[in-house]
Amino acid sequence: MRDLATVEGRAMSAGEAAARRRMIAERQKTSLAWRVIHWLGSLQLALILLSTIAIACAVATFTESSFNTKIAQAYIYKAPWFLVWLTVLCVNLFAVTLTRWPWQKKHTGFIITHYGIITLLIGAIIGMNFGFEGNVTLHKDKPPATKITVNRSIIQVESPVDSALYVMAFDASTAGISESRPRVFQVPGTSLKIVADAFSDNLVKEQSLVPNDNGVPGVLLRLTSPRMGQNVELPLLLQGGTPQEEDFFGLATIVFQSALPEPVAGDSETQMVFGKFAPVVHSGENPSGVGVLLSEDGSKVTIRSADQTSATYLREEIMKKPVPAGTAIVTIEDYWPDFQMQSGKPATKSPLPNNPAALVRIQTAGSGGAGKPSLVLAPGKEGVSFQLLRSGATVASGVAKPGEPFALGWADWQAEVVSFLPKAGVASVTKPGPPLPDGEHGIPGFRARLESPGNRSGEPRWVESGDITTLTDGTRLVRIGYGLELRPVPFSLRLVDFEVPRYEGTETPSNFIASVEFTDAKTGEKKPGTARMNHPASFPGTLWANLTGFNYKFSQAEWNPRDLGETTLQVLYDPGWLLKWLGSLGICVGIAIMFYGKPRSGASH
Amino acid sequence: MRRTILFLLFLLPHLTSAALDMSGLAAVPVQESGRKKPFLVFADEAMMGMTGRTSVERDGKKLASVEAVTGMWLAPAGWENVPLILINDKKLQERAGLDRTRKRYSYSELASSEGLRALLQEASALRAKNPKAKLDPVVKSAADAGMRLAVFEGLVSGRTVTLLPTGAAAWSPLGENDPALAKLRGGFASDDQASFDAGLAALRAEQASENPRFQADPGKIAAEVFYQRLHPFRWAWILYLCAGIVLMVSAGRTPGYLLAWGFALAGFGMQLAGFVFRIIISGRAPVTNMYESVVWVAFGTILFALVFEAIHRSRYFLMGAVPVAVVSLILADTQPVILDRSIRPLVPVLADNFWLTTHVLTITLSYAAFALALGVAHIALGKIILGTKPAKSLYNYLYRALQVGVLLLAIGTILGGVWANYSWGRFWDWDPKETWALIALLGYLFLLHGRIAGKWGDFGMAVGAVLAFQSIIMAWYGVNFVLGVGLHSYGFGTGGFPVALGFVLAEIAFIALAVFRKNSGIARPQGAVGA
Repeated sequence: MRDLATVEGRAMSAGEAAARRRMIAERQKTSLAWRVIHWLGSLQLALILLSTIAIACAVATFTESSFNTKIAQAYIYKAPWFLVWLTVLCVNLFAVTLTRWPWQKKHTGFIITHYGIITLLIGAIIGMNFGFEGNVTLHKDKPPATKITVNRSIIQVESPVDSALYVMAFDASTAGISESRPRVFQVPGTSLKIVADAFSDNLVKEQSLVPNDNGVPGVLLRLTSPRMGQNVELPLLLQGGTPQEEDFFGLATIVFQSALPEPVAGDSETQMVFGKFAPVVHSGENPSGVGVLLSEDGSKVTIRSADQTSATYLREEIMKKPVPAGTAIVTIEDYWPDFQMQSGKPATKSPLPNNPAALVRIQTAGSGGAGKPSLVLAPGKEGVSFQLLRSGATVASGVAKPGEPFALGWADWQAEVVSFLPKAGVASVTKPGPPLPDGEHGIPGFRARLESPGNRSGEPRWVESGDITTLTDGTRLVRIGYGLELRPVPFSLRLVDFEVPRYEGTETPSNFIASVEFTDAKTGEKKPGTARMNHPASFPGTLWANLTGFNYKFSQAEWNPRDLGETTLQVLYDPGWLLKWLGSLGICVGIAIMFYGKPRSGASH
Repeated sequence: MRRTILFLLFLLPHLTSAALDMSGLAAVPVQESGRKKPFLVFADEAMMGMTGRTSVERDGKKLASVEAVTGMWLAPAGWENVPLILINDKKLQERAGLDRTRKRYSYSELASSEGLRALLQEASALRAKNPKAKLDPVVKSAADAGMRLAVFEGLVSGRTVTLLPTGAAAWSPLGENDPALAKLRGGFASDDQASFDAGLAALRAEQASENPRFQADPGKIAAEVFYQRLHPFRWAWILYLCAGIVLMVSAGRTPGYLLAWGFALAGFGMQLAGFVFRIIISGRAPVTNMYESVVWVAFGTILFALVFEAIHRSRYFLMGAVPVAVVSLILADTQPVILDRSIRPLVPVLADNFWLTTHVLTITLSYAAFALALGVAHIALGKIILGTKPAKSLYNYLYRALQVGVLLLAIGTILGGVWANYSWGRFWDWDPKETWALIALLGYLFLLHGRIAGKWGDFGMAVGAVLAFQSIIMAWYGVNFVLGVGLHSYGFGTGGFPVALGFVLAEIAFIALAVFRKNSGIARPQGAVGA
């Protein structure tokens, strides 16, 4: 059997090597301590560790792929047993260097490598216990951030005794709680207990309209978008006769008021415009002078307003979307690249733009009001009547009967009155929603109840992440909050500017550049910083701080394509950094010395 | 006889003029998907994007990509009925109500498919709700088909043929009334070379009249045209294959060995040239996607083999490296749909030459060293299967290759941690790519430590070198194409799974056979069987 130890041994004389082997065998016979060291540093143990860690990691990656990252981390990477296993690895690595004692020159690479791994792992443990990872979302128009969101779920309990807030680490998504295996938290300073016994990854707040004798007129509206698969229920109340106005995703406004306004006469006409012919000009009752021209290949639409200013659009981008032109609204309702009448209906002969034609609707507003489109509802004799307004003109009106949805003209949204109650109130209940499809994230939370001695138990309630819920056992109230931990930092951070340069001719970002300003909380000193991709900003950012990791580092993490004033930075504070660095260096240098730092004599036969 | 020659002479110019010479157009710069490229590359990529190959047959005539794309752009009529758009997914073919015996369909066939339209709507609805949503395979295929349709639409409308440097951020297509376009159209329609060339000259003049700040670098464009026509990586595998054949047939004779060296060096030079061109064109290290890494690993394997050959002059290194390099390069050459060779802008995190050259080159070179070890191990195991006992030195060569791999993989993985510390804000967070690099490293360490412990000997090391390489396959291909989660998402792709699985199964069968032959104890003296 020729192994590496003997290959190494060739450098020595055979006699010396034999004497050394005898000495090592001898000390194991006479000393229990040496026997333990040799056992802890044995190759058998090393092989078991290497294989089990590799297999555990492989299992974890498949777990992550079929479930999610959190579960893989909770059960393997960050589970206590895995940590214990890594500790055993450290012990094994340390003990094996002792078994070679007294060290000789040929052991240099071997020792540096093995101590390098230990140093790296110690650095990792220090980083895990004394450092933290988190993120912070900054916005140009918002005040500076002084807290970092840490990747750790906690609950905050407000004790009824002293109103102090108590923080406990708890991640409901990986705790595996169930009715048979609940998790119990003692409310500090009391004999009360909080029992958490169910988890949901998709909590929804359901607002419903309930009859209430002291209530006011109320209507429950359901808005649906088949294309987006969205379904929203919206209860509206007529409080004290004042209109209730709701903003609908920034798309439109919905108003519930005591009576509908007088319809505003607008004027609307529909015309066919051909790419190869002259533009159409609005010629309705009160001509607006708006002209619409389709380009010869059908790809562009030019809209000329009454004041002779014109704008050209890509037709595909404005299909079925109302385009304002002065006081008028132009909508391209339909398009045929190769227009032809077929059995009395417009159709296209081919997909090629041989005879492009578009159906155009031009609407003019009576009063010329601008702003978002709106839906106005009012209680009437036959139920609820509605009006759709656009640019101040009434586009549609009617009576909304339960079960009869009507189109709103905002993308493909439809509205339907579910119920109308003359005397109503709104009740809000948080409860688990339907299971989510893969890759979508809802609001997580857990079910909790307050228990007092003698097992008097209060009503269970769902505690939503990012919200505060009040639990009661019938007599006392305990407020409980759940969510990611917010950690204060000794400085504040303001986003001065955020740039997203793009690759030429595309919308693909080529970099993300956040200019920030740090303000030291103690001294008030200001310091600028720039976080680019691969080039983090750091605070305090001195050479010493960067080297040791006693430093807050801000790397670009996420951006919001819809709001370029906003960016999310990943925050790292890692006091184990220096040890990780040294350990890494040791591993690489050590392996190189082991493989290439000795005479090659023995190896080539 | 004389008459025939005269006739031929008369015919010759006519023959050449029948097909319009478009080589002038091939070198015209176009700005597309984030960079400026020659029309030739634009056409190749557009065709590859639509059909999965660079030529198409129309009316019984085979058209190269420039001819076809120019046709769609200048004379779109009729192209909507040419089966161009690739749809491989059998399920999608069924859902879209397509003829399942074909793989390519015309634009009008697909535009009229209700099933496809429904799937496309589903895809866009899902994406509108969550841009990162993981789509169902059929929906994903439909979305891909939608993208191919968009490429076609962009070409026939001329919208994506952005030829005029009107701005650094975005170039513009030629206007509908552009005189150059009219001449090009006229020349193309009537096969009139003079008119076509006049249009080309007008186009060049129009390009030159725009702001010089936005112009393409003519040197780079010329280099890319040359690179695109040269196919250096194809030449490389042909030359490596020659080297391998010469090695096989010239057992031990020096002239044969030298000739093999010559072929290998020539192939190596071709690969080197290919990389130099890619670096000039893209301005970055050539290891940013699966295609580049496959080609690079082939390069690294040959590099290590040549270095070791120079030291040991053993033949085994080249014999081990050649099959690995040839198979990798043939895969890269023939599977353009899975291994996309186009040069695209990088996601911001990758656009950093320092880390690309340190971390990525080290990691991929470690793959190369392990691939060489795999090749050498195959020779050893192959000898055992054939009944000869491999020489001790062969195992020593294997050990040398493994050493290089372990050192580079350790360095590369750690460099990855250091990079991640700067880019993602943490050193190590069990990202699948990180984790599989670690698993591979642990696997090879297990192999080496087990040998020191005397658990297995030389034969075990050869078996282990083949088995442990499967973890490299997982780290390299599996994480990106099978697991599909984690932060290394820029390398994700689909396809090739049956090939990868087949490779793994074949390796396992090979090992089983070697173990069986070893245990049955047939060992004839060396040289009795095989070479």
